[in-house]
Amino acid sequence: MALPLTYNLRNVFVRWRATAATIFGVALVVAVFVLVQALAVGLEKASQNTGDPRNLMIVRKGSTAESSSQVSRQQFQTLEYLPQIARNANGQPLVSADVVVLVSLPRRESKGEANVSMRGITAIGMELRPQVSLAAGRWFAPSKREVVVSKKLAERFANFSPGEKFKTGGHELTVAGQFDGHNTAFDSEIWMDADEARSIFDRDNYSSILVRTTGTNAAAEFLRRIESDKRLPLRVEAETKYYSEQTSTALPIKILGDFLATAMSIGAIFAAMNTMYASVGARTREIGTLRVLGFRRRTILAGFIIEGAMLAGIGGGLGCLLALPLHGYSTGTLSFNTFSEVVFQFRITPWLAAKGIIFAVVVGIVGSLLPAIRASRLPVIAALKAV
Amino acid sequence: MNIPTFIIKNALRNKRRAVLSVLSVAASLFLLVTLLVALRELTSPPEGLGAALRVAVRNKISITNPLPARQRPIIEHISGVEAVTPFTWFGGKYQNEEGMTFAQFALDAKMMRRLFVDLKMTDAEWQAFTDEKTAAIIGKVTADKYKFKAGDRITLDSTVYPGALQFKIAGIYHGTADDRNMFFHQDYLDDSIGIPGQVGMWWLKVKTIDDMPGVIAAVNKAFANTSAEVRAESERAFQLGFISMWGNIKVLISSICTVVVFTLVLVSASTMSMAIRERFRELAILKAIGFQRRELFTLILAESFGLTVAGGLLGIGGAYALFTFGDISKMTHGIFIAFEVTPKIMGTAALVAASLGIIASIAPSIAVARMSVVNGLKTLD
Amino acid sequence: MTAKGNIVTIRNLSKIYRQGEINVTALDNVSLDIAAGEFLTLMGPSGSGKSTLLHIIAGIDRPTSGECQVQNIDVTQLDESQLADWRNQNVGFVFQTFNLIPVLTAQENVELPLLLMKLSSEQRRRRVAAALELVGLADRARHLPRQLSGGQEQRAAIARALVTDPALIVADEPTGNLDSHSAQEVLGVLQTLSRNAGKTVIMVTHDPKAAAFGSRSIHLEKGELTA
Repeated sequence: MALPLTYNLRNVFVRWRATAATIFGVALVVAVFVLVQALAVGLEKASQNTGDPRNLMIVRKGSTAESSSQVSRQQFQTLEYLPQIARNANGQPLVSADVVVLVSLPRRESKGEANVSMRGITAIGMELRPQVSLAAGRWFAPSKREVVVSKKLAERFANFSPGEKFKTGGHELTVAGQFDGHNTAFDSEIWMDADEARSIFDRDNYSSILVRTTGTNAAAEFLRRIESDKRLPLRVEAETKYYSEQTSTALPIKILGDFLATAMSIGAIFAAMNTMYASVGARTREIGTLRVLGFRRRTILAGFIIEGAMLAGIGGGLGCLLALPLHGYSTGTLSFNTFSEVVFQFRITPWLAAKGIIFAVVVGIVGSLLPAIRASRLPVIAALKAV
Repeated sequence: MNIPTFIIKNALRNKRRAVLSVLSVAASLFLLVTLLVALRELTSPPEGLGAALRVAVRNKISITNPLPARQRPIIEHISGVEAVTPFTWFGGKYQNEEGMTFAQFALDAKMMRRLFVDLKMTDAEWQAFTDEKTAAIIGKVTADKYKFKAGDRITLDSTVYPGALQFKIAGIYHGTADDRNMFFHQDYLDDSIGIPGQVGMWWLKVKTIDDMPGVIAAVNKAFANTSAEVRAESERAFQLGFISMWGNIKVLISSICTVVVFTLVLVSASTMSMAIRERFRELAILKAIGFQRRELFTLILAESFGLTVAGGLLGIGGAYALFTFGDISKMTHGIFIAFEVTPKIMGTAALVAASLGIIASIAPSIAVARMSVVNGLKTLD
Repeated sequence: MTAKGNIVTIRNLSKIYRQGEINVTALDNVSLDIAAGEFLTLMGPSGSGKSTLLHIIAGIDRPTSGECQVQNIDVTQLDESQLADWRNQNVGFVFQTFNLIPVLTAQENVELPLLLMKLSSEQRRRRVAAALELVGLADRARHLPRQLSGGQEQRAAIARALVTDPALIVADEPTGNLDSHSAQEVLGVLQTLSRNAGKTVIMVTHDPKAAAFGSRSIHLEKGELTA
């Protein structure tokens, strides 16, 4: 029969002064772990939930990103009126060719420059991307040197308020408004008129084509059509799939997070071990008494391991609480896929918090193993240990 | 027996606690050193030899925009310029790899030796490289990874240009700050799948260091108000520009360092406080015998210091040994090629260890100061 | 083989242990019978072996040689887990230092040994209440040990010793840490248990006034029975 859990729990709390440091130490380890992983998750999610499932993205074969892809006007014209393409209310085919250019722009508060993705887009292109909505000002007017910037980008870069101007490619562009990308990859983009973009950046070719087909069968047919045409060195895939593959930036951050957690947990394990040894030392008589009463060695062993797990588990919960305020905090870094700024939020998912607590509990169990073994090996006579 | 022996005997009385304390301090200092080194590597790119004389010239819009090849003679004519080469990103994938594993650049092979003086190859290898248009040279790190040797033919699929190119390896180089890259002929690219008349960027070498500011200004001015405006900057500024694209990475790592140090102090201080508390009875006896408070503080401090010094030697020394003699490239999957533990970093970590030794002894010292001998003797052992 | 009415039969019990380089003889060939329902006091100077004898009878120490039968079971032959079960069901131990679990209330402390038996929580509750009632602590059931006086703590410990209804109550200097008034109370309870409840009580003490509460005294010196 095991010792009641209230016994274990009360012991954890009654020695709180001695255990507080360890609990807090574990809390910090878990907080760091959760925060770094939240960065990685945030990065992934920034691109993952992008795209309309009905759309197909077309880039040049062999390209890994729109910005390094080239689609010629002839290729676009070959596709434009294919029967599988859906049409909008006005009877226009829902196909749009975009120009994506990386532009180096200054950050706010002179914190240096960074590459930003500028997308030359058409009205149809905007129609194909319902995830984006206007947040301030107005959309750019066609044939004008105007842009609309992501609201989230505007927080990080200079001159991005509606009405402000900035220079690039020898031309001055006016910010007509800001849009909200609703936590998709578009949050890291600036949009402008496609033809204006081609003019300013001297582009003959487009970067990519976005297409909406009439249905799943049509999509399959469209794909087959393109892939079998030798004149079209193009790659077609679902827009959602294209974006969900753009997550390699998260990988080094995940590795960093795992490394940090492992390294810090070693210190935490030693701390937990020390705390539990001290606990065993202080409760020698108590342990002996329990054995006199008839409790088994393995019950004592389990009891101390449970206490270690509880101790660390509490630390883990505290750590998650410490990390929580940063949930949703917006930041940005260089994306390895697009080679431009990607804006994202810290995302602490329930699963991540659970992982943090589980990790803490494991630390507690490992740390209390040796002390628990020691406790279980105490002879019954320990009950009579003189003061 | 003398005082130092007494201190050591005391500290080792509970060997297990002493060992755990030392290990805990060691682990945290090891981590601190690792983070400081990573931070330094990420934010201060290594200086290649000859970097002081090199200038990077890229399209003002962004580095991903190309420059027209016709800019070259204009740049060559600017006074103070000694050598010019194009430098174009190929973005090639090797075999069936998911992504790019090493960088490849097209350039003027004949000019290269004058510009990148830190690159070491035999004269024969240089000759083989410049003589043949399809030739390429590869850095030792990548060559070792894929077991390339001179004479091998490799094919790379470009993610930027339409198609693939085959290269013949003319030589393996070493000696640069980043021995992972591959270099080949710009002509070869132009004649095949490249865009003739376009280059990625220019690298220049100035004649003397005094020429640098003038050259930079002249290059920028030469192409102002053209369809391809440029930004010329020193190599250092160019590298720092990349780093600033990482954004808050420096802030992130610095914060983590702070948290680590804080946790370290917290955990180790409490561990040592507990150790001292165990010894109250003995300290009371010493007090009864006639030891002054000052002497007791010294005992506590000495023990505290001893533990942190031992932990420091283990943690900092261990980090130094691992990163100086270990294969960094392999350990970090190629993310880092150098991981230098500088004296400054070791000094910082040592300082942290020393402070820890002092901080950890504060609470117990206060307690001992307040303790009356009678109460101390009554303390449970 | 137990003679009629003897609950404990000890034959040629010896205990020798090593202390550093020396062999110490704690018990030297001790033989003894204890009748059921006795209140036996073991007396003797420090180091006489009285506590060692008590511990062996109670199953928390093992002799080097000899046998000790309690209710026809030779406890020296039981293995560790068998001893644990045996102690739980047959012995109630009262310590000089009370040994209550600090984080549990008096009630929870008394309940502890019952957790090892197959009883419903209702059955446990009743037994605990009865035991506390017997020692006069019913109104302090929810108090933690630090909220009890020394005498109350020891009474709670006695209640814990009783709650499994053991045949044997074993007490090692139970009044050593008590003032004389509480000591009297505790000794009175032990006496009542022996006289009215039929429990066999074996008590180690060095205080003749405490020994006076017992029905019989035996003396040990240097590991041997004297007088």
